[in-house]
Amino acid sequence: MDFYQGKVLRLDLSTGTSTVEPLNMEWAERYIGGKGLLLRYMWEEIPPGLDPWSEDNPVFLVTGPFAGTNVSTSSRLIVGCKSPVTGVLNDSYVGGSFAPELKFAGYDLVIIKGRAPEPTVVTIKDDVVSFLPAQPKYWGMKTSAIEQALRDDFDENAKVLSIGPAGEQKIPWACVSTDQYHKAGRGGHGALLGDKNLKAVAVRGTGSVTVGDAKAFLADLWRMHDEYVLTDDNYWVHEEGTPVLVDLVNGAGAFPTRNWSEGEFEDAGNINSESFQKIRIKKRACYQCAIACRNVHSVELDGKTVMGEGPEYETIALCGANCGIGDIAALVKFNELCDEWGMDTISSGSVLGLAMDLTEKGIKDFGVRFGEVEGYLAAPELMATRTGIGDELALGSKHLAEKYGVPELAMEVKNLELPGYDPRGTFGMSLSYSTSDRGGCHMRSYPVGDEIITGDEPADTMEGKAAYNINGQNFSSMKYLGIWCDFWAIDLNQMSQLFKHVWKRDVTEEELALAGERVWNLGRLFNLREGMTAADDYLPELLLTKPHKRGPSAGRLIGKETFAEKTQEYYALRGWDGNGVPTEDKLAELGVDVRL
Amino acid sequence: MPHVMISRKKCTGCHMCELACSAYHEGAYRPSVARLYSECNPTTTEIKGHTCLQTGCAKCQQVCPNDAIVTKRITVKPKGFFESKEKVGESVEGFVLVVDEEKCTNCGECYEVCPTGVIHEHPDREVAFKCDLCDGEPQCIAFCQNKYVYAVDLKVDKKDKTLVVAAGEAGA
Repeated sequence: MDFYQGKVLRLDLSTGTSTVEPLNMEWAERYIGGKGLLLRYMWEEIPPGLDPWSEDNPVFLVTGPFAGTNVSTSSRLIVGCKSPVTGVLNDSYVGGSFAPELKFAGYDLVIIKGRAPEPTVVTIKDDVVSFLPAQPKYWGMKTSAIEQALRDDFDENAKVLSIGPAGEQKIPWACVSTDQYHKAGRGGHGALLGDKNLKAVAVRGTGSVTVGDAKAFLADLWRMHDEYVLTDDNYWVHEEGTPVLVDLVNGAGAFPTRNWSEGEFEDAGNINSESFQKIRIKKRACYQCAIACRNVHSVELDGKTVMGEGPEYETIALCGANCGIGDIAALVKFNELCDEWGMDTISSGSVLGLAMDLTEKGIKDFGVRFGEVEGYLAAPELMATRTGIGDELALGSKHLAEKYGVPELAMEVKNLELPGYDPRGTFGMSLSYSTSDRGGCHMRSYPVGDEIITGDEPADTMEGKAAYNINGQNFSSMKYLGIWCDFWAIDLNQMSQLFKHVWKRDVTEEELALAGERVWNLGRLFNLREGMTAADDYLPELLLTKPHKRGPSAGRLIGKETFAEKTQEYYALRGWDGNGVPTEDKLAELGVDVRL
Repeated sequence: MPHVMISRKKCTGCHMCELACSAYHEGAYRPSVARLYSECNPTTTEIKGHTCLQTGCAKCQQVCPNDAIVTKRITVKPKGFFESKEKVGESVEGFVLVVDEEKCTNCGECYEVCPTGVIHEHPDREVAFKCDLCDGEPQCIAFCQNKYVYAVDLKVDKKDKTLVVAAGEAGA
């Protein structure tokens, strides 16, 4: 079938063998691609209640139907698993060029199971799959080194997915890297791959992705890019990129500062978009993206040049303001260190901010303080290698705060650290975090978009926010079937125009909306099956009960009662019962083909 | 004579040009068989464009023992905007080097001499393949669509080193 390769590659690390099987096209029709196919395969492949650290817990690499074509922004790959951090589903998205290359090699999906007896690297050149020893050369390498080594040793055009030393040490927020600066950041996939003794997967594909009438497709795509993607409304993404959010979020009093103790950072002006533009040396793009949002920066730090892509907004928030860091050079360096050691920056900044808070409060001296650069820049290596303070920090925010008797200081949901929006300055984000299917995440629904960016929704009320988050979650689920990046502000009508090429028939907006909701409900069922309950749809209590004393969001509070009411409203509007369990009627209406 | 160039300073490494090139010529997306490419190092973010300089280079034609690289008249009228549009105009008349697949024996002489590495053996047919400017509407230029980038450009130079002219052509 056009757009799909129709093949799944299975890697069994325990035996060092691979097999190829047909893609389940019935599931591909019902769940389309990306997140939908991931969840349907997870449902089938993961025995209910499986220990995430079991060698039977698979890691999935999932593409979308448009990877490997000119469809802008849809080169994204999902790294998916039952997370060893949250115990629930985790779909982590990464740009770069790995997903298209995997399609050109002939696969829609890779399922990685087992545990290699020794550290291993897997290479895939079209239909030739090899398992190679990662020692002595590759194990221990940082991310830029392993990528270059595999381009040198295997294929100069290889695209490499790897873990850094943090993954080898099974740090809970170890990420999966590709094209050096691109990270499937959240949920501990890097730790799981480290546990499986898999250092890297390198792929080279020389085959094709068919689309039917290619010339007609090209003409239609050119028009769509012209009309929908490269528009004056959307060019901010290229001109500024995510740092544009700093002034907006800080101005709304929602910028997490010094372990979430404040919502406004006095040095935000040093790390905002304007400041980053001064050190920007070029723009870079993911594969098949016409927008090119990525900023390459270069700064001098202690007489040395630090050069690299990013940091993006979430890193600026959590590793900047949340650590009291307003020194742009230190921030760029910290980002580079996290990239090289292979760690998610949201969790890195969150855990470090907590450690600084514990130090400042005199609870435990970790030798790191808000705004002090020396300890700050020493931390990534310590965390990634579990040395010195790193050994305790590797507990993650939740367990570290619990250990010192201050669980209220941990900013996490389902044991996943929160990204860079304080719900006290943007109320809708409370439910966005609590009901996110993978724990503390801003990528499922994004009330910030209207509460802060456009100002179309009031930021200081919970009225209407249950419905708002449901719409957002359903829509992002649909978008993650595509898989489109958020920077194409695509709508259902535009998606339907693209899917017309896939299914060779007219596609309605309604059927796509339904697919998104179907997938969200499938995810909920999976999480419930794995033992999650409504009690896990929480928000750190402090965010509901302790108002900021100053700044634009001073004095504002959602309150525990309102939050509980809105959670129930959310369940009801979703067609779920009071315990957050989808009803039979709802599942039947959506065409979900599995049951608890 | 018209040819395509990728600006190493402007290119963002999105590879849209290679994708569109392969879809146009192969009827499916297959960038490993694209007629141009952008070499990107993800770590250093350095980029180097590889495109055919056409008749201004013509090394492939000069070494071909079978006269299989022929000079063909072409009118190039790119879709969309591109950096040099105001300089070169809406359309350019000129010549392009194309492979005569009847004559090509896949001997490989041209693969060795191409200074930009953009003429190769086709993986499915035992002949050389190279850039032909998409019959006058280069898809690489069309799909370098971001107005802040416009890295794939149509250049026109006066050099012409061609020797072998396609049947019916004159004045090349």
